Amino acid sequence: MSQFHDVQAFVRAANKASNLPDLKNLIADVILELGFDQFAFMHHVTGANVPEHVIRLSNYPEYWIEAVVERGYFFDDPVHVACQRSSAGFVWSDLSNIINLTDRQFHILEEWHRQGLGEGFTVPVHIPGETIGSCSMCVRTSSRFPDASLPAAHYVASFAFEAARRIVRSSLSISANHSSLTQLTGRQLDCLVLVGRGKSDWDISRLLGISDQTVHQHVETAKKRYGVATRTQLVVRALFESQVTFSDLFD
Amino acid sequence: MVTVIKSEHRPSYREALNAMHRHRKQVFVDFLKWDVPVVDGQYEIDQFDTEAAVYLMAIDPRTQSHLGSVRLLPSTGPHLLRDLFPHLCAESVPVAADIWEITRLCTAPKAAEPKRVLEQLATAVMEFGLLYGVKQFTCVAHLAWLNQILAAGWECEPLGLPQIIDGEHVGAVVIKVSTQSLQILRERLKFTQPLLRIPEVSKAA
Repeated sequence: MSQFHDVQAFVRAANKASNLPDLKNLIADVILELGFDQFAFMHHVTGANVPEHVIRLSNYPEYWIEAVVERGYFFDDPVHVACQRSSAGFVWSDLSNIINLTDRQFHILEEWHRQGLGEGFTVPVHIPGETIGSCSMCVRTSSRFPDASLPAAHYVASFAFEAARRIVRSSLSISANHSSLTQLTGRQLDCLVLVGRGKSDWDISRLLGISDQTVHQHVETAKKRYGVATRTQLVVRALFESQVTFSDLFD
Repeated sequence: MVTVIKSEHRPSYREALNAMHRHRKQVFVDFLKWDVPVVDGQYEIDQFDTEAAVYLMAIDPRTQSHLGSVRLLPSTGPHLLRDLFPHLCAESVPVAADIWEITRLCTAPKAAEPKRVLEQLATAVMEFGLLYGVKQFTCVAHLAWLNQILAAGWECEPLGLPQIIDGEHVGAVVIKVSTQSLQILRERLKFTQPLLRIPEVSKAA
């Protein structure tokens, strides 16, 4: 099968995938066919406690995901920074041409090498209203990097990321009858952003200069408007209807 | 509201079409630095802006000015994929009476809500397809935009692997026209009414 047919078959299967584990398996299979070992397709959101519907599809070793994402390597992660500067895909050996690598970033790249990650290719994902994402594919240090697979890899990245967004959106069960735009007032949005940042009603009342009963009221009204039961569901719903962006919440 | 402008409608939309070509020049030549022809130093017009071209244009109802537009070309005639980029297709270039090409999707540089205009155009293209019996749209896209095109809600598949053309990663995709697609676009983008408007043909030349 030619690489194009691998990509075509992947896109068709990804468009039919109905859950993230299935999609993750499809990605793992196709990147192996293209000559890569590991991948990480994700929204750039840090910390351990994020809404469960943030996209994080990866077969990087668990301890590496923990270090990179949860220990805050991500703030300085050179790939993350390069994604902010670039709309085109790039290989990791080119990073010093895209950004000025700091000492800490050199240290991170060395850490990757020690952990066995070799050359990689990253496709930034820029969708207006959403936090930046990226799709990275790499080889172990002992393997040959498949330069000839980069165009195919680019397509796998773009189509896979959109398939993930589609699955996440449909798992929020936005019903077919939801025909009116959920309009939140400015104050409700202010409260929502602060809820998303983990603030209590009391904190929010101090920050906005209103009573904490009023804050509670705003949050409850927003929950009713979206038809959700919990504050976490409220934040996730608002994110996916682009009422707030990830960067509003996770600066 | 998105207006269908076919050759017979053009006399009624001269000003708006001129504005479209001026804005195309600002977006594609000045900003994106494409190597495409410019007429009179201000209009971006190429060999595919023919009688067969159909423009879908978002027009400001108060000022009648061009807010955004897209050019549609029948695949049975001259078009980018067949004439300039056939190598972007792994197999033969799709040509049929019910396959059209989408090109020059742009918004006016000073439009107040460019994202909303793009959403209107993306949805209007699907309405056009259903109304005029188009089954598929082909499109040559810069990869930097691919995720936004996919995020808009079009159901896409690749026609070949992307290549570097003039220093940019470019690929050919095919977009399926279906009532389901239109329904998804309407739900996702919150359109509750049809967007497309087909003007009467002016009797004056």
